[in-house]
Amino acid sequence: MESAATRSHFEKLESKVDEGVGNVIEWLALVRRFKLRRSEKVTTHGCALLRDSSLRRKLGSEVWTVYEQVAIAAMDCQCLDVSKMCIEVLIAKFPNSARVGRLEGMLYEAKGQWQQAETKYQTLLELQPSDAFAYKRKVAIAKAQGNLGAAIEALKQYLDTFMADQEAWRELAEIYIALQKYSQAAFCYEELILMETANATWHLMYAEVQYTLGGLENLRIARKYYASAIKLSAGKNLRSLYGLCMCSAVLSQTKGRAKDEEGTELQSLASSVIMKKYKEKCPNKARLVTSFLEKQKL
Amino acid sequence: MANDLVLDTAIRDWVLVPLSLVMVLIGILRHFVSKFLRSTNTPDLKAIKESQLVVRARYLRGAANFIPEKAFKSRRHFYNNEENGLLHVPKSQAQNMQAQMFSDPNMAMDMMKKNLSMIVPQTLTFAWVNFFFSGFVAAKIPFPLTQRFRPMLQNGIDLSSVDVSYVSSRSWYFLNLFGLRGFFSLILGEENATDDTQKMMQMGGQMGGFGVDPSKTLSAEKDGLELVQHSWALPKLEEEAESILRDILST
Repeated sequence: MESAATRSHFEKLESKVDEGVGNVIEWLALVRRFKLRRSEKVTTHGCALLRDSSLRRKLGSEVWTVYEQVAIAAMDCQCLDVSKMCIEVLIAKFPNSARVGRLEGMLYEAKGQWQQAETKYQTLLELQPSDAFAYKRKVAIAKAQGNLGAAIEALKQYLDTFMADQEAWRELAEIYIALQKYSQAAFCYEELILMETANATWHLMYAEVQYTLGGLENLRIARKYYASAIKLSAGKNLRSLYGLCMCSAVLSQTKGRAKDEEGTELQSLASSVIMKKYKEKCPNKARLVTSFLEKQKL
Repeated sequence: MANDLVLDTAIRDWVLVPLSLVMVLIGILRHFVSKFLRSTNTPDLKAIKESQLVVRARYLRGAANFIPEKAFKSRRHFYNNEENGLLHVPKSQAQNMQAQMFSDPNMAMDMMKKNLSMIVPQTLTFAWVNFFFSGFVAAKIPFPLTQRFRPMLQNGIDLSSVDVSYVSSRSWYFLNLFGLRGFFSLILGEENATDDTQKMMQMGGQMGGFGVDPSKTLSAEKDGLELVQHSWALPKLEEEAESILRDILST
């Protein structure tokens, strides 16, 4: 409740800041607090703020956090000189800080100097082996170079220690899918389902991976997970409804297994729900959908 | 008769107010001292791995029914097998770990610092209060209370005839010790070092290793996992999904 109120306050403040009258310091603090990505605005307003020495004094010790924030935002906008300036100020103030080291590494990354970035993160890791951030950046470097195999290796190395990190499992699953390694991706989604049993997305993704893997057993599993995704999303997720239709269609085509009656029931229900939704929301495409679904039923 | 008890104003000026003032000042002092002494605690990679492992195994135990049986069994084998399962701790290693823990100088140092900022000032102030103000009735609260509150409010006075609403100086010390937290968070910001309860909880978390070694948690988790009966939850879900879809269609 409290955050909803501050949120609306933040939006008001942001429009004021855009007009040039609001309290930039407070706005920046709220951007940090909500972890928003307003890079362009942060760079422009932040730079103006940091240039003014009287305002800088007003910030007190918060000024360093603002420098960090502006540095990252500027990298996001490719204003590398601004970011470099901020980082230099920070280095002068905190010469041996790991946090500033991260910024340096990120600047290398933004410039595309992968090798330097990699060595920077490596030194950070040597100083502090439990630096999750550096591990993650290494994954990002490999990914940015398009080297998905190396990204997987780096992620595995990270997950070996931080094995309860959901985001990392998700990332790994997506990379595996990109490389068409579906059974590995399935493992990652299983892990995600374990962590969040009520999240329909994981059930859906798992079903899709199983469906892609194919084979009678996997298809059966896929259909069950489609069903559970439908249940968890209360039938509102169109993707899972379509998936169920396709999956059941393939299952019923598989010969010699005619005892999947509940499946066909579920399939016809799902297709009528899809039809209903199209008729409500998008009537002119309903015809197309009907013909597609009819084909699936055959 | 107890109601006739009149407190000298000098008690207010020389006991009640100084006591509160000293407590506040000591709180502030402790905040800064502990800020000064705080070591950047660098968590050990192995410790992180272990705690994350326990979390992950707990997820598996809690949500086993949501993944296919094959997936569950392979995971359980991965955690629990006797050769290189992650949760399996060889016996010789288990004893080693404890020995290691006690010989770790960092740990002892941390403990000492914590003691310095927490226990030492507390003992000193308690001794001071006890020595100078023992037996004073320092204040009277303006509402009556039941007898149950006597040990809380009249610590140090062994008179059952005094009304419970009178507060002894030692109790006043305790009330200040625990009651000033809100005040400190107002003047020192949310994350201040004076918050003892938080600190104790932290200590419980960290020192979990000190009394109980992590291999115990691991093997407890292992046993728990071994006991899980896998019954896949999803077969039922298909029917539930059907009924949900029917509901949508009928509305």
